[in-house]
Amino acid sequence: MTTTNEKSDKSGVDRRTFFRAGSGAAMVAAATVVGAEPAAASETQEERLKARYRESDHVKAFYRVNRY
Amino acid sequence: MARMKFLCDADRCIECNACVTACKNEHEVPWGINRRRVVTINDGKPGERSVSMACMHCTDAPCAAVCPVSCFYTTVDKVVLHSKDLCIGCGYCFYACPFGAPQYPKVGNFGSRGKMDKCTYCAGGPEADFSTVEYEKYGRNRLAEGKLPLCAEMCSTKSLLAGDGDIIASIYKERVMKRGYGSGAWGWKTAYKETVNV
Repeated sequence: MTTTNEKSDKSGVDRRTFFRAGSGAAMVAAATVVGAEPAAASETQEERLKARYRESDHVKAFYRVNRY
Repeated sequence: MARMKFLCDADRCIECNACVTACKNEHEVPWGINRRRVVTINDGKPGERSVSMACMHCTDAPCAAVCPVSCFYTTVDKVVLHSKDLCIGCGYCFYACPFGAPQYPKVGNFGSRGKMDKCTYCAGGPEADFSTVEYEKYGRNRLAEGKLPLCAEMCSTKSLLAGDGDIIASIYKERVMKRGYGSGAWGWKTAYKETVNV
């Protein structure tokens, strides 16, 4: 009489090894996707509050045409 | 330091709703809500006035005062922003806001509201500037690009002004002096605790 393990050894790969390998591949794929989007990181408190407005030429043109 | 403000010259607004449409398109605002809208009083009668309304980015913002999870923050430019990661959609800010700015795109059964959405002054949110995540959650970050809110920039009658509060107040004063009348800087007293004296 042969056990389940012995049967799978004969076929080359058993069910648990197959799914373990599958989940490992899924984790690697997920890590790759996360790694591809480094810009998704949130800003630090200082970066959040910093001034973004600047009087660029674009903004100066807006002020100028609004005086017409 | 420049203090960002909105000013709607109600004597120039023709209720074309271009500001509403521009905002919705620029930020891909979800179906069913608008970050900006035009309110008309005495519609069709003499003395009709229209005002373009959105978050006014108040001094001492009441939304921030009532938020139970402190998801609001005010930048150095005095733009009031919020974090959608922290928001629990309780709706307190909606009740507190004198301008009706907070919106809830995912109103569901049993009182669920999803994450609050409001005007960001085209300044994005707490995610990294110009990132995909920032765009998906808060819309485009035009302020960081050296531009101003699109609603004001594409106003056809130049009714809606945005930018440095002192500069837009001086522009409005010039207009009132020139034409001889003005209905005042709508909402300034409520939002900024001051008004434009002409």
